[in-house]
Amino acid sequence: MVKKIFAYSYVYLILFLMYVPILTLIVFSFTNATYIGTWNGFDLSLYQKLFESEEIMIALGNTIIIAIISAVCSTVLGTLGAVGVFYSKKTSRAIFENINQIPVVNAEIVMALSLVVMFVFIGNKIFAGANLFSFWTLLAGHIVISAPFVYLNVKPKLQQMDPSLYEAALDLGCTPRKALWRITLPEILPGIFSGFMLAITLSLDDFIVTAFTRGSGLLSGAGNIETLSTLVQAKIKKGPIPPEMRPLTTIIFIIVVLVVLFISLNRNKGISSKVKNRRKLRERAE
Amino acid sequence: MEDNYIIELKNVSKIFDDDTIAVDNFNLYVRKGEFVTFLGPSGCGKSTTLRMIAGFDFPSTGEILLNGKDISNLPPNKRPINMVFQRYALFPHLDVYDNVAFGLKLKRIKTQIKDENGNPVLKIDHKLIRELKTEYRVIKRKKHMSDEEKNEKLKALEEKIKTAKETPVPTYKLNKLSTKEIDAKVARALKIVDLEALEDRDISTLSGGQQQRVAIARAIVNEPEILLLDEPLGALDLKMRKDMQIELKEMHKKLGITFIYVTHDQEEALTMSDTIVVMNDGEIQQIGSPKKIYDEPKNAFVADFIGESNIYNGTMIGPKTVRFLDHNFTCLDDYALNEKVDVVIRPEDITFVDEKDAMIKGKIVTKIFKGVNYQYTIMIGKNEVIVKSTKSYELDSIAGLHIEPDGIHIMKKDFTMNVYTDAWIDKNNNVMIDDVPFECVITQLLPGSSIDEDGYVVSKDGQHKYDFNDADVVAEIPLDKIDVVDDIESDECEVVGEIVDLIYVGDHYRYILRTENEEDFVFVSTYSYNLNDTIGLKVKKEDIKLRLKKEVTEYEI
Amino acid sequence: MRFRFQRKYLCIPYFLFLILFVVVPIFFIVYYAFTDGTGNFSWNALVEFFTTTNKINVLVMSLLFSTLNTIVCLLIGYPIAYILANKKYNKSYVLVLLFVMPMWINFVLRTGATRDVLTWLGINGGTTPYIATMIGLVYNYLPFVILPLYTTMLKLDKSQIEAASDLGCNRIQVFTKSIFPQTVPGVIAAAQMVFMPTMSSYVIPETLSEGKIVLFGNSIYLGFANNQWNSSSFMAIIMLLIIGISMFVTRNFTEKEDEGRANAW
Repeated sequence: MVKKIFAYSYVYLILFLMYVPILTLIVFSFTNATYIGTWNGFDLSLYQKLFESEEIMIALGNTIIIAIISAVCSTVLGTLGAVGVFYSKKTSRAIFENINQIPVVNAEIVMALSLVVMFVFIGNKIFAGANLFSFWTLLAGHIVISAPFVYLNVKPKLQQMDPSLYEAALDLGCTPRKALWRITLPEILPGIFSGFMLAITLSLDDFIVTAFTRGSGLLSGAGNIETLSTLVQAKIKKGPIPPEMRPLTTIIFIIVVLVVLFISLNRNKGISSKVKNRRKLRERAE
Repeated sequence: MEDNYIIELKNVSKIFDDDTIAVDNFNLYVRKGEFVTFLGPSGCGKSTTLRMIAGFDFPSTGEILLNGKDISNLPPNKRPINMVFQRYALFPHLDVYDNVAFGLKLKRIKTQIKDENGNPVLKIDHKLIRELKTEYRVIKRKKHMSDEEKNEKLKALEEKIKTAKETPVPTYKLNKLSTKEIDAKVARALKIVDLEALEDRDISTLSGGQQQRVAIARAIVNEPEILLLDEPLGALDLKMRKDMQIELKEMHKKLGITFIYVTHDQEEALTMSDTIVVMNDGEIQQIGSPKKIYDEPKNAFVADFIGESNIYNGTMIGPKTVRFLDHNFTCLDDYALNEKVDVVIRPEDITFVDEKDAMIKGKIVTKIFKGVNYQYTIMIGKNEVIVKSTKSYELDSIAGLHIEPDGIHIMKKDFTMNVYTDAWIDKNNNVMIDDVPFECVITQLLPGSSIDEDGYVVSKDGQHKYDFNDADVVAEIPLDKIDVVDDIESDECEVVGEIVDLIYVGDHYRYILRTENEEDFVFVSTYSYNLNDTIGLKVKKEDIKLRLKKEVTEYEI
Repeated sequence: MRFRFQRKYLCIPYFLFLILFVVVPIFFIVYYAFTDGTGNFSWNALVEFFTTTNKINVLVMSLLFSTLNTIVCLLIGYPIAYILANKKYNKSYVLVLLFVMPMWINFVLRTGATRDVLTWLGINGGTTPYIATMIGLVYNYLPFVILPLYTTMLKLDKSQIEAASDLGCNRIQVFTKSIFPQTVPGVIAAAQMVFMPTMSSYVIPETLSEGKIVLFGNSIYLGFANNQWNSSSFMAIIMLLIIGISMFVTRNFTEKEDEGRANAW
């Protein structure tokens, strides 16, 4: 019993400490003060300021656009890659896996720099000094950091899949393409989904690759694309987190909690119920 | 003659990418409606053969004919053959109904297009015309054809094109099965497997036996010409397996289609099949009816694999007389005098008799109650004899045994000697077998010779010198001269491999050890090892017999 | 012959992408590391790196911080992972999620928040840069340690632990002889998740030490910001070398690492 209390207090203490910075920001988002630590009474004006800040709204928009586009691209590429590699020969599989592993183990900053020097070189030598940095280079950078993780999420699902399922589908008259679509895809869907979610978070969270590979474009117009990470970094370099960003923390925190709740609640529900509903509908129709 | 064969496998071999030979020169003819079982230990190639019939693997050589047509390279979705998989392979995201209906939903039926009055719609077949025209052009360009022949063919084609242009033909379209038809077929299939009420169930909620039934329903609903079953009962418990065996057999009768069944369970094979194909190591050992295979096993492997057997080393000592267990027995088979043979006797063919009438006598050392009868082990000399009887005899008592001549099965020995025809001598005067050096007595290649300090062989009179480096030889090692080394790391150990085959022969085991390079070493030992054990072997150098492939003078220096 | 669809062809787009944006750029890094501004072959970057005390200092400092951060994170995280994975203490996944959740809040924002709270508490980056940076690093990397350790500990072979005590081990021996050896792959995976990223981190030291501590990542970033492609490329090569060495040392355990990260969802 004593052991149990001791264990719990240790876990909860660390947990509490981990949340202190975030919770502090959240608490002080409800008062109008320049610095955290000063409480000027409950006040929601910071929330209003947040939505009025064009700068933050642009960065937020950019971040979301980039996250969605890059996650979709990464998911398509990574999934196709995982499926293709899984059915390739041993040697080509080994080569592919090793290359896929490079962005995973490599330091993000090295990956980012390598992309930058490549774009600089190509811009200088091939396009006569043109500046290649744009949304597209940024997108490439984001796919580089997230697609390998999609791959790694899909791969185990393929390994867990009974190989005779695909063969059974062929046996029952599917063409290889159809079998892939109707049997393999539903089987690996959970892996694709978790890969997609991971790709989104990696992109949302990214600072280094964005800072290195960005150019002008998106909502930032002619200026460098500003994402939440780069904007916050620029601000905190000069001083404390601007007051109007504190409410942003609160909002992000609430969204994260909701997403986590949603996912853990849905985890145990299969697709079975859907199939059953469809069946019943059809029977009624007849 | 071949017209009633539904499927024929002719000289089919399968060699995988890593050079392992899974199936070697397989020949089989299956009649329509037959229940054929491939029986053999795991890794014997039975599943690979089945997969080639299904279309998941393509034969490296040879051909597979279905109703006389070559289907060797047809993909599985184009074959009218369905399979029940080992672990069922049901689609987990679909329910029972959708699993069973899966194949039906993909099916397309060719139907004639008819107008409102029910008359067939006739149209000019442009596709046929196009094909004929291409053929026409091809023939016209052909160089290796006499003009006469060419003109004749072209004329015939012109005629054909003309008729095709003038006569409209009925048109067809590919139709999906209607939901109603599918429903009816699914219901019927589920009825056959006794699962009527479970249409809407999720696969994960079914028991192993039920999943098994769904898998069968999913295959038979497509009305295949051949149903393949890959160890379908392997995952079930014993009781359920027995029930399913009977049900499957009845289903076979009812459906009237050909079943090809794969199993490693000999009892299952004997219970269910019309024909059993016993396989080992990629090769067919015997094909025959269950009774024939049980009563007349072709070799020691089949005898050992099917049912229980006593196997002994015997010698032919006269016409239809064989000696084993230190006794001369009359038998029905005849082999050359003094030929070493394998003798197989089923335990139920040995009877207890009074000591005075007995052919052989021995002490009962074990007695096991088996329900219907007792199983005894009787020691005769160093040999064990297994006998079954419903009567109870005292342990440690002396038993007299009798064997009728028709209970003694004599087989030619598969192995009497390890022979390596592609061995060679390396520069250290070792013999290389399977790229492994064995110490040997090189001087046996030249009677009376000796070896000088440089490693050359010097003839008896000292006049001639020979360099046997790289000489091709045939090496022979008797089975009983190979010793086992358990510690495969030790220096003594000359070759390491896995045991791929074992047979108990009276008082010892006969093993086949296979090295990584697929070279086999047959040896005997009184110690017990299991299949797939990795062990090492050594051979005393004086026990390796060498024979030069070329004349000895070729190597003189 | 007609083109026949095969499943393996599906990986071609991703393969081309990886070649173009992962493999080729690394060759450009090598190219820039061994050329000068005009594109001619040169050892300048190498010589500069090994003769400038400042850069060597950065390397030593980065290695020190990485090692220290790894050790501290492991010391704090190991017991937590053990408690979370032990059915006696914790049966639900909720607590684990709580430990992972901060990872999903923008990390620059989180780092800023940590800095601001530390400043408020008097641990100022301007006066105590080392302590502030250490705290920031541990804050950020603790979840990355807990997750792989937790997944390995879930797989602990209970009967092996019972066998150990059955064979006479006391509690400490059970830990040292059975539990810990079983968790070594997790420990190594966790260490990999912390060590290299710490070395190459930029935002955390930059923010928490208010620019006073320069780690390897900051150094490369500075090179990038000033368009010094050659010297920053050479530093990237050094980084790659260190990664290569650490991969070589722990290569048997690399598979586990991905699992740890992938299991976040």
